[in-house]
Amino acid sequence: MGKPKERRILYENIDAPDMHTLDVYRRHGGYASLEKLFDLNAEQLLDIVRDSGLRGRGGAGVSAGFKWNLMGQGEPKYLIANADESEPGTFSNRYILQHKPHMLIEGMIIAAWSLGVHKAYVYVRGEFTLGKKRLDAAIQEAYEAGILGESVAGHDFALDIYTHAGAGAYICGEETGLIESLEGKRGQPRVKPPFFPAAIGVFMQPTMVHNVETLSNLPYIINNGTEWYQSLGAVYKDTPRGVDPMNTGTKLYCVSGHVEKPGVYEVEMGLTVRELVELAGGVRGGNEVKAVIPGGSSAPVLTPYELDVPVDFTCLQMAKTMLGSGGIIVMDETTCTVRALENLMDFYAHESCGQCTPCRVGTPWTRDIVARIEAGKGRPGDVDHLIEVANNVANIDTFTWNTICVFGIAVSWPAVSFARKFRPEFEAHIEQGKCVTLPVSEAVAPPEENYAWPQELPEVERKPTWDY
Amino acid sequence: MAFEFTPERLAQFHELLTHYPEEHARAAMLPTLHLAQEQNGYLSQDVQAYVAGLLGVSEAQVLDVVTFYPMFFDAPVGKHIVRVCKTLSCDLCGCREIIEHIKERLEVDFDETTEDGSVTLLSSECLAACDQAPVMMINDDLHGRLTLERVDELMDALE
Repeated sequence: MGKPKERRILYENIDAPDMHTLDVYRRHGGYASLEKLFDLNAEQLLDIVRDSGLRGRGGAGVSAGFKWNLMGQGEPKYLIANADESEPGTFSNRYILQHKPHMLIEGMIIAAWSLGVHKAYVYVRGEFTLGKKRLDAAIQEAYEAGILGESVAGHDFALDIYTHAGAGAYICGEETGLIESLEGKRGQPRVKPPFFPAAIGVFMQPTMVHNVETLSNLPYIINNGTEWYQSLGAVYKDTPRGVDPMNTGTKLYCVSGHVEKPGVYEVEMGLTVRELVELAGGVRGGNEVKAVIPGGSSAPVLTPYELDVPVDFTCLQMAKTMLGSGGIIVMDETTCTVRALENLMDFYAHESCGQCTPCRVGTPWTRDIVARIEAGKGRPGDVDHLIEVANNVANIDTFTWNTICVFGIAVSWPAVSFARKFRPEFEAHIEQGKCVTLPVSEAVAPPEENYAWPQELPEVERKPTWDY
Repeated sequence: MAFEFTPERLAQFHELLTHYPEEHARAAMLPTLHLAQEQNGYLSQDVQAYVAGLLGVSEAQVLDVVTFYPMFFDAPVGKHIVRVCKTLSCDLCGCREIIEHIKERLEVDFDETTEDGSVTLLSSECLAACDQAPVMMINDDLHGRLTLERVDELMDALE
């Protein structure tokens, strides 16, 4: 078995000069899937997507085929590409918009044809000025070339794609917050269940919302077939109820923080956290790892005891964290975990949309407790207090939230996991009345005191060999 | 004089309306506000009333949106907008030093405008470019792998 290495599919040729233009994209095989697409009907396409095992890359990891199956029957139907990339530590969509926007358009055409959609939107993060400019230009080119419009690629199928710029609110990345924002309102998420966007979405019509990366996988699945896609990544067996064993395909891992070569690494799923850190050049200056956030800042943090967990949907879920958006933030021995958590809680306190009281009040309260510990003004019992307040926004042990959307759990997951897993460092701040950065071996709670220990990982059915 | 779009922007606005179902003109709210802010610099009460009239919604509904989104300004801002990322990956890579330096150099705190009205300094949540941390945006442009020297060069170019 080879060592894990990059396997560029979505990011293939992303650095090629002018890859954002139609000519260059076509020269590299772009839009080839459209030659097969219109010979396939909705049912066949649903089977292809479901059998491929493709899971949503935006955070929740829901099977794309499962979601398509839920699409309501009303007309018109809508498709939305979620390009509101705002999860701290995530930056792979940015480069797709800037350098390979036609890949997203191609993926959207496939989804639209399959779902019977004639109007689609790309909700682009407000700060992505270059990305939106490039995407707008690509859409314009596609219209001029007859790839979009009244008759897509010469077929009896009409599709319009419009971009819609956000204005700096993190919560608009949540699909129902996004829909509210697209409708011209505050981006406050909708109550669900009972109605998910696939049943009642934008303008009260059936709506499919997918992350940019999820949609970008579709052209390759259509071109190369389900079997090819299934052969990529890791599949497990005997997973507990509620744990999907499928991790097919590659993932765009965004590695940042204290690594030598931060960047986007496209790898078949199945490699471990440790292997991914190595792939990114290892920890800077040969330092020791202290903490790793595996899936965007909302994902519970991992300690050095947990670095052999594969970075995929299934294993991270079983390790009581998540793959989320694939944003991996690495912290070395010089990091103060209290300060790191304070930074994150500042973010969540700022981004809470204010709709639900537990989140609007609980998030700044959590931030204030962490800030006071970091400032050396922590009181005995503050760590438990912190855990209690955060768990009352959303309880990470019972996995229930007192809020409308999962922002609540995105607050308490980092808060409670940092406080429990790095408890000695938090307590040292309180005892010594100042910020103290303990050596890694002393900062981490013993593994048996870790709420996510012992780690029971599923048996592997198939893993990549990396023999290429 | 009351605010109104230039003829070019008014045409752009009418094109925008075609993106959404006719009975949902309100959906054009965010793009219309972006367009208005581009013209006026910020969204005064005047501008908000004009946008409300264009979209057939109440002024309160426009205000509701303007106050929710950090990229919309309801008070005058400087000629240049500088947004410095302060979220975790940038913090791990030294953004605090960068932020202190910019504040000292401009003699302003976050959410303030320099005395000459040239720069408004804002903090930003994760700008989704963590591989280039620390990062900041000057107007529409992203600048990464910041050092104090690089920040000075960029600031010099502003004045």
